[in-house]
Amino acid sequence: MKELIEYIARSLVDDPRQVVVKQERYGSKYHLELRVAKDDMGRVIGKNGRVANAMRVLLRVAAGRENKQITLDVVDPK
Amino acid sequence: MSQEKTVLEVIAATVEEATAKGLAQLGLPADAVDVEILDQGSRGFLGLGGRQARIRLVIKDQSEGTTDVVEAPAHHEWAEPVGEDIAGLAQGEADEETAETAREVVAELLEKMQVQANVSVRLVPPADEKDRSLVLVEVEGNDLSILIGRRSETLNALQYITSLIVSKQAGRWVPLMIDIQGCRGRRERQLRVMARKMAEQAINTGRRQVLEPMPANERRIIHLELRNHPLVTTESTGEEPNRKVTIVLKQTQSS
Repeated sequence: MKELIEYIARSLVDDPRQVVVKQERYGSKYHLELRVAKDDMGRVIGKNGRVANAMRVLLRVAAGRENKQITLDVVDPK
Repeated sequence: MSQEKTVLEVIAATVEEATAKGLAQLGLPADAVDVEILDQGSRGFLGLGGRQARIRLVIKDQSEGTTDVVEAPAHHEWAEPVGEDIAGLAQGEADEETAETAREVVAELLEKMQVQANVSVRLVPPADEKDRSLVLVEVEGNDLSILIGRRSETLNALQYITSLIVSKQAGRWVPLMIDIQGCRGRRERQLRVMARKMAEQAINTGRRQVLEPMPANERRIIHLELRNHPLVTTESTGEEPNRKVTIVLKQTQSS
C-alpha cells in the first residue's frame, strides 16, 4: 500500500528524493501521510484534489486485497 | 438559412447503416434522395481506431424536410481531462516509445495494487484529421471487476494516474486509454443506446434531458452519437467531476 503511493508520488514530482510516505496503524485501520517538496504539492494534489483522490481510489483497491482499511493525507511541508 | 438543396450528412459504422439512419431521420424513401459517399470508412476498435462511413444525402425535391449539417462539440472533450492539469505541456502524439512507457507504468501500478493481470499496449491511429493517435492499454485477467469499480471509478483513476505519469515522462501530453476486458466497448454501446433513447425522450416531452455526470470520454461518445441528429443538439454543462451532457431540442427552423 505504501509502495503504491511512493511509486505514484515519485513519478509525478520534480524532486523524487523529497517524497516521504509514513504509514501508521490504528487498530485495524491504517493511515498514510504523504510529504513532498513544497513546489510539488500541486502535482500530488491536483486541481480540486483530483490527483490525491485518484490515488485514494487506487489505494482502496490495494488495501482491499489485504482486507484492510486505509486513508491518505497529503501533509504540508514544514 | 435556406439552401438550394437540402442536404444531410450522416456518419455511421457502414455506408448502408448511414444511409438507413439518414433516411429514417428525414422520413423519406430511398428514391427521394441522392446518396453521395464521402468516406467509405474502415474497421477499427471502439469507434476510435477505424473511420466511420460518411455519406451525404441530397434531397431531390425540396418540398419537405430541412436539415442543416450539424456541428456538435466532440473532439475538444477528448482533449480535456488531462490536458488542463498539465499546463505548459504540448499536446503530443502517441508513439511506440510512449506506448511502452504506458505498459510499464500500468504493470507497475497493478503489481503494487496486488492485482494480477496481463497488460498489453497498442497504438490506435486517429479516427479522422481532427483526431490524434492514442495509446490503448489492454488489461486482461481473472475477476478484474475490482479494477473497474462503480461507474468505472477505479478504471478512470487508474487511467488518470497513468496519463499523468506517462505524460510527465514524455514531457508532453500523451492521449491514452485503458481498457479492462473490453469494458470500454460494452460501455460505449450502452451509452450510444442511451443517447438515442434520451434524444427521443427530449423530442417526445419537448424538454431538455440532462444526463448523469460522466467523464469526458463518455460525454464525447454521446456528443458523437447525436452529432447528426436532425432534431436535437448536445452540450456539456457544469464543472468536473459533475459535468453532464444536456440534450436540447433544436429551434424549429423557420422557412
